[in-house]
Amino acid sequence: MTIRSVALRALAAGALLALAAPAAAAQGTTVSEGGAVRSYVRSDPAATLAGVALFVDAGLDRQDAGRNGIAALVAQTVLETPLDGVPLVDAVERAGGSIAFAVTPEHVRFYLEAPPAALPRVAALAARAFAAPAFDRSALAAARAALGRRIAGEGEDPRSVGLQMLRQAYYAGGSGMPSLGEPGALAQLSADDARAFFARWYVRGDAFVAAVGRTGAATDAAAAALGGALPAGETPGTKVTTRPYGATPRQIVAQRDVGAPYVVVGYAAPALGDPDFPAALVIRAMVESLLGPAVGTGVAPFRTAGVIYGYDAAPAQLAVWVNGGRTEPAVALASLIALMRGAAAQPIPASAVRRYVDAARGEWALETQSLDERAFAVGNAVTQGLSPDVDAAIAAALPRVTGADVARAAKRWFQRFDVALVVPRSTGQHG
Amino acid sequence: MSETRRVMKAAVSAAFLVSAGSLPALAQGTAPVPASGTLPGGVAYELRSDPAQPAAAVALWYRAPSSGFGAEPVPAISRLAAATVAASSPITGTPLGALVAGYGGRLSIEAFADSVSVTAVVPPERVAATVRAMTADYFAPVVTDQGLKLAQDDAAESAEFEALVPQDAVEDALGAALFAGGPLHDGTIGTAAGLRAVRIGDVRAFAERAFRPANAILVLTGDAGASALDAVASRAGAPAAGPAAAAEPPVVQRRRNEPEPLRRTAETRGIGLGWAGPPIADEADATAMDFLADALFAPRTGVVAQALGDRRAAATGRFVTFRDPGLFLVTVTGEDAEAARPIVERAVASATHPMPAAAFEAARAAYVYRLLQSMETPADLASVFGWYAVEGDPAYAPAEAGGDNRYFRLARALTPQAVARAAERYLRAPPAVVILAPPAPHAGPSA
Repeated sequence: MTIRSVALRALAAGALLALAAPAAAAQGTTVSEGGAVRSYVRSDPAATLAGVALFVDAGLDRQDAGRNGIAALVAQTVLETPLDGVPLVDAVERAGGSIAFAVTPEHVRFYLEAPPAALPRVAALAARAFAAPAFDRSALAAARAALGRRIAGEGEDPRSVGLQMLRQAYYAGGSGMPSLGEPGALAQLSADDARAFFARWYVRGDAFVAAVGRTGAATDAAAAALGGALPAGETPGTKVTTRPYGATPRQIVAQRDVGAPYVVVGYAAPALGDPDFPAALVIRAMVESLLGPAVGTGVAPFRTAGVIYGYDAAPAQLAVWVNGGRTEPAVALASLIALMRGAAAQPIPASAVRRYVDAARGEWALETQSLDERAFAVGNAVTQGLSPDVDAAIAAALPRVTGADVARAAKRWFQRFDVALVVPRSTGQHG
Repeated sequence: MSETRRVMKAAVSAAFLVSAGSLPALAQGTAPVPASGTLPGGVAYELRSDPAQPAAAVALWYRAPSSGFGAEPVPAISRLAAATVAASSPITGTPLGALVAGYGGRLSIEAFADSVSVTAVVPPERVAATVRAMTADYFAPVVTDQGLKLAQDDAAESAEFEALVPQDAVEDALGAALFAGGPLHDGTIGTAAGLRAVRIGDVRAFAERAFRPANAILVLTGDAGASALDAVASRAGAPAAGPAAAAEPPVVQRRRNEPEPLRRTAETRGIGLGWAGPPIADEADATAMDFLADALFAPRTGVVAQALGDRRAAATGRFVTFRDPGLFLVTVTGEDAEAARPIVERAVASATHPMPAAAFEAARAAYVYRLLQSMETPADLASVFGWYAVEGDPAYAPAEAGGDNRYFRLARALTPQAVARAAERYLRAPPAVVILAPPAPHAGPSA
């Protein structure tokens, strides 16, 4: 069939980062304790596919200073592990499903998806790779190449570049390292490094599964296979640490092959479970309304500005990016500072609060449309010690946000910031 | 031409008289509302609810040539017109784009060679209001200077960007290699200069003809209930009559039968190969071609990707299920595109031989999954239903009834032999070829 317009693909090419993924959905999540690891199940009987996400306690915060990228390299090597001569990722595809991973500060998340009938077979393949990953020269080389392509892709998006600069400035230790590593650092990592990381952190410990979509016997079987593939073992708890924002913003500059300068402003932000989180979502809507175009045409390939809320970690980070090709960055930055100061100084009028609450509610609802997004929402909540249905609680809390709540959140979180500038190489600025 | 005038006159006379919510209480009876149907004002609809979704898609699809209805093509006017309506302040108040943004939703406009769609993804509690506003705005389109200016700025930027994306540029040009005229010839990207030169009168005329209720297909997916159909705006006054009361007829495509490649100067470099395929009505062959495109051009595991190996070239291929004919489009881009072309052509030619059974089953499993995966969100589903409806075969939409529908029954019935026969029928002939290359650099002054 292939339904695809050039406009759609253009937008997809620059699609917003998955980093700050989603949450929302009205129905409840059930918990199953029966398998090797705990399972959280959120069903959608109308879905045609089923998804199972395995959260392993082997995220960025497990990396030490000399092993930038080891979390991603190990995860990618699992995908490249040959099964009967075929890499896992391809074997899964030929079995009628998909497998992918994302690295967050606290976890690596493997996501398998398939029609229910194919899911047990797909999960069995993944379980074989987890049980005996191939950390040999060939698989590691394939993993480095695959990561290199993803890193290059992210490097073409100035928002992604700026966001990573801000994360590195804000988060201390491994949590601030690039989620996929850097090509130079990846090249330095050895097979022994990978084996040791896998042996230490790929254990049941706090691992868990989130099952979504058309759940049932197939997702139960898949969860059991994946959880059972990890050896028993415990992992010590960690705490994501940050470097406080100062009264004077840190300014970080990078040159890239981009068509226009981008300014990305980073703030500390309330985490998913923080009482200020709903008010921060309203502030997000307020910022987008102020900096975005007053009227959308539905065809713009690039937006003027946007907000990326990185609530995949606690503490969280909120980044506002401004496209210097569509607006004057200095003016936008001044407007943003004035907006945050004004919002903190006194409660905004109730009519404006209602308007921004409406937008915030809609944006929140739209963050969990795909099955992968729903699995992330469940897992992210659990990781942060919250109810797997916290997204629904947040949706219910949003209408109760007041101007005073917005003022409190703006004052507490959004007065200090860092600034990342991503400039075209030809401008002559230096980083 | 006279028919065009009659249609436009009827549309203009009705454009000033819009009211909302005056439809018969379609959803208020006890009988369930059919999933497909036509509303009293002539609007066709497709309704597929999934209450477990956190959002809903409201989409209007129109059969309309991307380059307009006139004898002289105006490239990309369909997208420009749809965007202008979204950005113009209607009589009733807020422009649609601003309204959807205020709901925390997303508005997108997509143009295809013979159709254009407007899709809003919104939270469930905003579905009725979005249906009301969208249908009111498009059924009686208001086109303002300011709205056109905004739309031209965005569309021009979009055209400039797309012209730099090799695959987009090659596919857009392939239509001209395949057809001598008609919507598939003209492409959907346009040029920034051309878009900025479009006059408001032309946009208004296009909008008033294309966006008529009788030419509309309203698609509701996700957490959207049947009651939203009551919110469809209707035109007050006498109902449209004659051509204005009917959907636009399909436009006849005129084939180009030139053996020589079409060479074009472009912002990017690439090669396109195109074959005319089965019409949508030939569902079995169309399904076979879908499968074949996936099996050949899947990014990692496809026959072509395997054959290209580490070469610095990328190849894409897809079958586009147009009414008649469908198109099998291949692009080859990258530094080594020229060297990669014969490899790609050999791989396509090999499709006339039946695949080994095991490889076929693996390819089919991957193809079925990818198809289902591309229909996960409400917007995805709305696109599928809208497309198949506008191309004249909504019952063949792969999204119908989940994975158990006519399309997937045909997919399950495919055999290596049937696929090879389809390839023999449609891919044996030499393809139409387009070659894009940047302009040659000017020679410097001689010493």
